Amino acid sequence: MASAANANLNAVRETMDVLLEISRLLNTGLDLESLSICVRLCEQGINPEALSAVIKELRKASESLKTSENCTN
Amino acid sequence: SSSITELLGTLCDCSLSGVSWKRRALGGVSKEGFRRALKRRAYDALLSKLFLDGSKVSSSGPSATAQTPPRNRVLMICFDLRVAGCREEAERLEDQLGRLPEEASSGLKEIDAVLELLVHLAGSAPPPSTSF
Repeated sequence: MASAANANLNAVRETMDVLLEISRLLNTGLDLESLSICVRLCEQGINPEALSAVIKELRKASESLKTSENCTN
Repeated sequence: SSSITELLGTLCDCSLSGVSWKRRALGGVSKEGFRRALKRRAYDALLSKLFLDGSKVSSSGPSATAQTPPRNRVLMICFDLRVAGCREEAERLEDQLGRLPEEASSGLKEIDAVLELLVHLAGSAPPPSTSF
């Protein structure tokens, strides 16, 4: 039972490593933490295209915040 | 396992990393207020896409690219990379795609959906800066 769970954990780790490398090569801008959250959202049934729109929107918002921070410095 | 609302909240927090809130609090922008606004924008983007998808399907049907399996779309990107002269990147991408297990043996339930997300986000980050 425990060895089956370990095998599954190893499979998830290896798959995540490959997905992270593909993500890096595609220049998606996702780090491991964001990618892990996205994987779980996809597993909850969120549409990938809609999720990509959410990520782009969040990036725009945080970039504008960081830009205004630089302007006030 | 977390709910969709919790996961979206964590995604919002991730996008706020690196922002200095001490100085912002003095200017009247609180972290909590901005986090709320960010979550609203996230839900707006999620829901608008949901309704847009429905109208697209009813009027013209899904496009050929949308129907292409995500693994094939990554291979199409590999082809584009080769055409652009980035042979090494194309080979590395093909290699990683070959290493990606099928859903049953990956330990993940929605591996093709994740791959589709990566295709949608491809090239959306600024290119890595080169340091001299």
